[in-house]
Amino acid sequence: MRQASSSSTATPAKHGFEKRVADVQSPKSDINALILDYLTMEGYPNAAAKFSKEANLQPQQCESTIVARKRIKTSILTGDIESAIRALNEIDPEILEKDPPLHFELLRLQLVELIRKCNGGDINPALEFATNKLAPRAATNSEFLKALEKTMALLFFPHDALAPELKELIHPDLRQDTATKVNEAILLRQASRREAAIRELVKMRAWAEASARAKKKDLPDKLELGLYAEDSEYTDGHEPMITT
Amino acid sequence: MTNPFQHTSSSFADNPLFSPAPLGRQRRSSYASVASGVPGVFGRPPRSAHPVSHLLNPSADYDMQANYYATYRNSRVAAGLNMGRHGIPGEDSVPGTDWPSRASNTLPWFSRAFDPYTTNDPLYSNFSDAAPNFAAAAKGPSFLSPSYLRGSVYLQTLDEAHKARVLAERESFATKVQAGGGMAAVGGPHSPNSKRPSSAHRGVQFEVVEKPSVPKVDPAVHPLPSRWNREDKDASLEVMDDGCTVKHTGRSSSDHEACAIRADHSMPPLCGVYYFEVTVLNRKREDTTIGIGFSTRTVSLQRAPGWEPESWGYHGDDGHCFSAQNVGKPYGPKFGPGDTVGCLVNFRQGHAMFTKNGELLGVAFRNLDLREAKVKLYPTVGLKKPGDHVMANFGQVPFQFDIDGYVKVSFPKCLEGGGFVTSESCFCPSQLLFTFYPPNPFSHTNPRPSPLLDTDRLQKQQKMITDNIKQADTSKLAPGLSETKMIQFLVLQFLQHDGYVETARAFAEEINAEQVALNLDPNKSVPGINIKDDEDANNRQRIRRAILDGDIDRALKLTKRDYPTVLEQNEQVYFRLRCRKFIEMIRREAEHNSLLEKRNSSRYRHAEDDEDMLESDTNSWDDHMDTEDGIDSSVVSKLSHEALAYGIELRAEFHNDPRNEVSKHLDEIFALMAYPNPLKVKEVAHLLDAGARVGVAEELNSAILMSLGKSSRAALENLYAQTSVLLEDLRQDGGDGAFVTVQSVIDQIPSEAAF
Repeated sequence: MRQASSSSTATPAKHGFEKRVADVQSPKSDINALILDYLTMEGYPNAAAKFSKEANLQPQQCESTIVARKRIKTSILTGDIESAIRALNEIDPEILEKDPPLHFELLRLQLVELIRKCNGGDINPALEFATNKLAPRAATNSEFLKALEKTMALLFFPHDALAPELKELIHPDLRQDTATKVNEAILLRQASRREAAIRELVKMRAWAEASARAKKKDLPDKLELGLYAEDSEYTDGHEPMITT
Repeated sequence: MTNPFQHTSSSFADNPLFSPAPLGRQRRSSYASVASGVPGVFGRPPRSAHPVSHLLNPSADYDMQANYYATYRNSRVAAGLNMGRHGIPGEDSVPGTDWPSRASNTLPWFSRAFDPYTTNDPLYSNFSDAAPNFAAAAKGPSFLSPSYLRGSVYLQTLDEAHKARVLAERESFATKVQAGGGMAAVGGPHSPNSKRPSSAHRGVQFEVVEKPSVPKVDPAVHPLPSRWNREDKDASLEVMDDGCTVKHTGRSSSDHEACAIRADHSMPPLCGVYYFEVTVLNRKREDTTIGIGFSTRTVSLQRAPGWEPESWGYHGDDGHCFSAQNVGKPYGPKFGPGDTVGCLVNFRQGHAMFTKNGELLGVAFRNLDLREAKVKLYPTVGLKKPGDHVMANFGQVPFQFDIDGYVKVSFPKCLEGGGFVTSESCFCPSQLLFTFYPPNPFSHTNPRPSPLLDTDRLQKQQKMITDNIKQADTSKLAPGLSETKMIQFLVLQFLQHDGYVETARAFAEEINAEQVALNLDPNKSVPGINIKDDEDANNRQRIRRAILDGDIDRALKLTKRDYPTVLEQNEQVYFRLRCRKFIEMIRREAEHNSLLEKRNSSRYRHAEDDEDMLESDTNSWDDHMDTEDGIDSSVVSKLSHEALAYGIELRAEFHNDPRNEVSKHLDEIFALMAYPNPLKVKEVAHLLDAGARVGVAEELNSAILMSLGKSSRAALENLYAQTSVLLEDLRQDGGDGAFVTVQSVIDQIPSEAAF
C-alpha cells in the first residue's frame, strides 16, 4: 500500500496542465525512496543514515560501503588521485583492471594535478609520470593518445590564458566528473546500478517536456519546479538556498 | 459446451470453459447458502459476528456487549468455534472439498462487519497461491485483459478503473443492504424459484441489487474491444449470444457488396500493440470470401474492410490485402474454413500485420497515421456469402499466434522493468484469468522469430527512447545550475520542506565539504550552504517522530500546542490520527499476544523436552492460550479493554459523520478486534503495519505546511507530478510515452529500501 501526499488544492490553477499536476499524487513513499537512494548512491553516508532514521526507512546499503565510496570521491575531488586509486584497488582491483578507459582517465587526472602543482616550477615529476604511467597505455589506444597529447599541452601554456578545450582540463569539473564516473563504476560492481534513480527521473522530466513541446501538446509556457522561492507560485517561504 | 468461447462482458463465471464441475460446486454452495439465509457451508456460527456488531451499531448496549465480548474473546477459541488458526472462520469447514476456494475463505455475504477482511481488494486477494486460479477468476466481474498487454501502462489504467468500479458497486450494494435491512431485502430474489442465472459467489452480491448504480468509470479510460457490436452491423449478419460469433444469414449480395460488422470498442492506441483473431467456422470447403481488418465508424457496412477509405483488410478468397482499394495487392495465403486469422496493429510504428494459424505474415500496411489517434479504428470483419460464419477472439482465450512472445521480443525493455511496469509491481488480473488455460501449443513449442518481425527496428526504437532520456538536456529545468547541483538542491529543499532537520543539516555539511575539496585556491573562501535553524521544521519533525514511534497522543498534544488550528481545520487528518491511535492500541495488544504466545510455545517445547508434558502436547493451539496465558492475560485484557473503550469513544465521536469513507474506515479498523492476533492475518495485518504511520505523519505534515501558507509540495514532488502528467500526454497517441513510466524509475530502487 502506498501513501499519497495530499495534493495541493489551494493553488488556483491557471492552466489545465497545472491543475492536472496538482491532482497527480506524488506518494511520499516514492519520494522518500528517491531521497534515500540518492544519498546512498552518491555517497552521503551521514545524511543517508540520518534520513533512514528520520524517515523510518531501512538503510539501502550498509554505512561502511557508502563511507568507502565517499572517501574515494573526496580523494578525487581534492585532487589526491593516488589515494583514490589505492583505495579503489582495495575495494575491488577488478574495477580498474576491467575498465582501461576509466583507469586511464584517473591517471590522466593525476597528470593534470601534477601539472597544476608545478605551474611555472619544476615540470619533471609531471613528465616522469606521463612517460612511465600514461605513455605505455596511450600507445594501445588512439583515443588515449589524443587525450595525453592534449593534457601535455597544458605544460606549454600559461594556465590563465588557455584555449577552452584545455581550460576544461584544469577546471574542477573534471575532478567532479571523474569522481562521478568512478563512483558509478563501483556502484555497478556492488549494486548493479550505475546511478541514482533521481537522476533518471530528472532526465525523464526534461525529456518528457521537450517531447511534449515538440508534439505541440498544450503546456504552460514555463513549467516551474518551485526550486527557487522567488519565481514560483509554490512559494514556500524558505530563503533561496542557492548560495553559489 | 456448444460454444466454448462464450463471453459475457461482466463475468467469466458462466463460461463453461472454466471447468464446470468445480465451478458448479462453488456456485451451488454459495447460492444455496444465500437462498436459505443460513451460512451453513461456511461453518461459521452467526454469533461470531457479534464481537464487533456493537461497534457497528451505535445504539447497542455497550456494557453488555463489552462484557460479552471480553468473555467471548477469552473463551471462544477454547469453545471450538472453528475459527481457524488464522482467525478466518471456517477455514477448513467445507468437508471433502478438494477446492480450497474463495467460497471457504469467504464470509457469509451478509456479514458486512467482516467484509473488509476478505474483500479489501476484491480482485487481488492472495488466494491464488492456494486456490486454482479460476476460483479467483470466477469470483467477480472482470474486464478483458489480454496477456500480451500484461504489465502495460494501458492495462494498469484499465485495472484501476475497474477496481474503482468494483468498489463503487460494492458500496452501492452495501448501502442497499443496509437500507433494506440486510437479509430480508436480498433473500427474495434468491429464493430457490428464482429464474436468475446463478453466478459465482461474488456475483451474487451484485445481482441482489435490483439496479446497480451506474459504475463510476473514468470516461477517459478507453475500454478494449470485447465483442461484436450488434448496433454496428449489416442487417444480414447475426451475432450469436456470445457476442463473438457472427453468421451471414441473409441473401447473397452483389459482387461489390459484403456485410460487415465492427467491434464494440475501438482499438486503444494507448496499448501500443493491439491484436485480435478471427476463426472461420464455415463448413463447406469452397471459396471463402471473408475479409478481416479494421475500419472507422463511418465506413459503409455493405463493404468489405479494405475496399473503402479508412478501412483496411486481408481477404481470404485471394489472400490480398486491401487499403482503400477495390483490387488489393498480393499479400499472404488464402484462408478458409478452420483457419484462424489474426490482425495486429502496431500503433507505435504505424503499421498492421496479419497472422494465419499462428504464423505471422509480415507487414501489410505501413505508414498508417495511427499515432495521432485522430480516428478510432474498430476491429472489423466482412462476410460476403450466406453461411459465412466466423468467431472472434478479442483476448478472451489464448491466441493462436504467440502475441505475448511478439510483444516480449519487440519490447524487451518492457520485461525488465525499464519501460513497462513489471508484472511484479503491477498486479494484473490476467494472471488470474489466463494462467489456468491449457498451454497454447503454438506459443510454447514453436516460437518463431519471423524474419518479417522487424524486431531489430522495434528494439532500436525502444533503445532510442531510453537513450534519448539518458541524454536529455536538464539544463533548462533550473537555469544556471548543473544537473548535479540541481539535484542537490532538489534533495536539500525537500529535506527542509518536509522537516527532516537532521538529514538536511548532515547533507548540507557533506555538500559543503565537497565544495571545499574542489576548491583550488586556498585563499578563497568557499560559500557554503547554511541550514537555518528553522523552528517550524523542528516542530514538525518532532511531531513526525511521535507518529512514527506510534505515540499518537504525543503527536496530538504537540500539534495542538504548536499549531492549534491545524487539527480543527483538517478534520480528515484529525480523524486519521484518532483512528491511528486505535490501531496502535490494537497493535500493542497484538504484539503483547505474540510475545506471550512465543514464550508459551517455547516453554511448551521445553516442557516436552523434559518429557514433563503428558498428553497435553496433542492439545490444540487453543488450549495453549487457555492454560498458559494466565500470567499476563491481565495485561492483554487490560489493553483490550482500553482499546474497546477508546473504540466506543471514537465511534461516538464520528457517529454522525455522513462521509462514507469515514464509516468505512471505522468499520475496517473496528473489525480488527475480532482477531486474536490480527498481526498474523495477512488480510488485515497491513492496517497495523508500522509503515502505515508514515502516511499519517505525512498527511499531518502537509496540513501543517498548508496552515503556514507554505506549499504542501516540495520542488521534487512537483517534478515527479509534472513528469507523470507529461508522460500521460505523450502516451495518448500510443507514442513513446506508452513505454516509459515514473514508476519504472522508482522500481529500480532496491526494494529493501522500502518498508
